[in-house]
This record gives sequence, C-alpha cells and structure tokens, in this order.
Amino acid sequence: MKRKDIKVLLVDDEVKFADTLAQRLQMRDLKVGTAYDGDQALSKVKEEEPDVMVLDLKMPGMHGMEVLREIRKAYPDMQVIILTGHGTDKDEEEAKRLGGFDYMKKPADIDHLEQKIKKAFKEKVERAMTAIAFAEEGEFDTARGIMKDEEN
Amino acid sequence: MEDKNNEDLRFLQLNFIGRILAGFTHEIKNYIAIIKESAGLMGDMMKAGKSGKEESRQYLEIIASIEEQIERTMELFRHLNRFAHKMDTPLASFNVNDGMEELLALLNRSANQRKIILEKDFQKDLPLIQSDPSMLQFLVFCFIQEKLDTLDKNSKIILKTTLINGTVTITIIPHGTSIEAAVKGLCTPEIYDYVMKQLGGEIIHKKEDQGTQITLPLSIPEIFSGVGG
Repeated sequence: MKRKDIKVLLVDDEVKFADTLAQRLQMRDLKVGTAYDGDQALSKVKEEEPDVMVLDLKMPGMHGMEVLREIRKAYPDMQVIILTGHGTDKDEEEAKRLGGFDYMKKPADIDHLEQKIKKAFKEKVERAMTAIAFAEEGEFDTARGIMKDEEN
Repeated sequence: MEDKNNEDLRFLQLNFIGRILAGFTHEIKNYIAIIKESAGLMGDMMKAGKSGKEESRQYLEIIASIEEQIERTMELFRHLNRFAHKMDTPLASFNVNDGMEELLALLNRSANQRKIILEKDFQKDLPLIQSDPSMLQFLVFCFIQEKLDTLDKNSKIILKTTLINGTVTITIIPHGTSIEAAVKGLCTPEIYDYVMKQLGGEIIHKKEDQGTQITLPLSIPEIFSGVGG
C-alpha cells in the first residue's frame, strides 16, 4: 500500500502552521487536508473520511477535546493524534481516556510525527483485519466491538 | 478584614500573573512551531533538489513568513517585559493607554479562543496619572475576564479611555448576549472595592450594555501622600 493512501486531516487554528505542516507531510507522500477550527474539522471528516486526524486542542469556538469526543462517537475507527502547544499532563490523560491514539507537543519533529501517523494507520488496518476475521467466524458482535474500538 | 483582603488580593494577583504567563507561553510556542515548520519546509525542498524561478519565489515567501513570526514573538516579549516591569514600583506616572494596550495584547488569544472581539477606543493625548500601574492593570483585567466568562461567542468588549471632568476614565463595555457561566471572573465585589480604595478612584456599574466605568484622579491619591521626595 502506497503511503499516499493514508489520508490525514490536520486541524489547527494557526493557518500558517497547518498549511506549512501539510505541505511537508505531502512531500512525504501522505494525502493531507486542513481545517482551521472544530466545526470545519467535523464537516471535512464527513466529506474526506480521513484515516488519521492530527488535532490541536486550543482553538476558537469548539475545543479540541470536544472535537475528539465527537469523532470517537461518530467515527470510532478514525485515529486521532493530539498535537498541541498548550498541553498539560491532565490534558494528555484526558485525551488518552477519550481514545486519542497519541499526544504530542508543539513544536514536533516531522519524522516523529510521520512515524506516529503511519503507526496509527497500521493499527487501524490491523483492527479492521481482526474484525473481518471475527466476522468470518460469525462473531459479529465481537467484530462490531472491535471496529468501534470498544476497549478505548 | 484588611489582612484577609490583602491575602485574597495577593492570591488573585498571582492567579492573574499565572494566566498571563500561560497565555504568553502558548502563543510563543505556536509562533516557534511555525518558524520550525517553515525552516523545515525549506530544508525538505532543498533536499528534494527543488530550484527554479517558482521555487525561489516560494523560498522568499517562507523567509518572509519566518521573519513575520519572529516579529510577532518579539512584540509579545516587549509586552510581557513591560507587564513585568510594571510591578517594579507601586507608584508611578504613566499613560493609562499604554497599560491598556498591553493588557489587550496579552488577552487577545484568550478572547479569540472564545470568539469574542476585544476592541479599543482610546482618547489620544490623555494626561499622565500617578498611581499603581500594575494594580490598575489587574483591576481592568478582572473586569474584562468577567465579561469574557459571561458573554456568548461572537460578542465584543470595548475598552474605552477618556478624560471626563478632569478625571481619566476607563470604561469596559460589553456588546453581546450574556450566558450562564460556572465561573464568573476572578474578583469579588469586596476585592474590587479594596483595590479601588488603594488606587484612589471609583467604580461605577452602569446598565448592562453601558458597561463598567473606572474613574481615576490625576493627582496623587491621599494614601500615597507623604511618600517619596
């Protein structure tokens, strides 16, 4: 599978930051879209169905945690990596409790972020394959639970 | 009672300083992140061997962006430096507009988060006043914070300075819908009164849409008389 098949949505209210980071990730063969606030992020998720979201916390209007909560409810198979300049230990705990895949602080190393995105996508694919295996055995509830990532 | 007010005030002032610093560090981290990514993008493009007229134009744009972020960072440091030095002396001659400008710059991000606009309406050429610049900034911060906590998004807060009947007047005027908030601002009415007593002025609470007015005398307040040379 080519890396350009990994769809990423970058959500950050600092437009310059989001656009520049998107360009850098695109040069690393990822397919990257951007959103500049929580409401825009939720609309773009419907349109673009990203595999991985890279999400800031402190944004005007809808806070990143609220976006994370909505995404986990409506799109449980989507992986969310928090990337924030604000973060406290409490925020990190809360993000992980809500099912965030990982939590990183700005400024982040691009190679490290790329690795996290690939790892998040790999986990998503593995989960899907495990669910398929259970479904093939007729264990549909288990399969459904795995797709909903009910352990997190 | 005086000791309790003093203690409460000290706690609230530390809270105020903490909030200002937290906002500042968050803002700075964002600017540095943009600088890092911009420099990184140039590096990525050079490693990929991108050169040519179009790429040169892009490189110049990226350099301009880096310069812009550095200037934003320096501007914020200037505000923070002035904010910190206000605490050097409890009595100083100063222009109210400078302190208010600084407060708006430091509160800008917090207001943006809530989608509330902070607007200034400063009378030019206000005479200098003699007062405690740090305490005044704290007081105005408390009033603005209360409005930030109790106004709905897409609202506006106007910070106005005028000279009326020989007194410098600061007015905080909210425009927007009020909301129920779990936490409403930082200070209690007792603390407002206690601070105002030290500043030697008066607080006038007007009707909801006309805001809160703080009037400050131009002369040295009685409390400071006999101090200094």
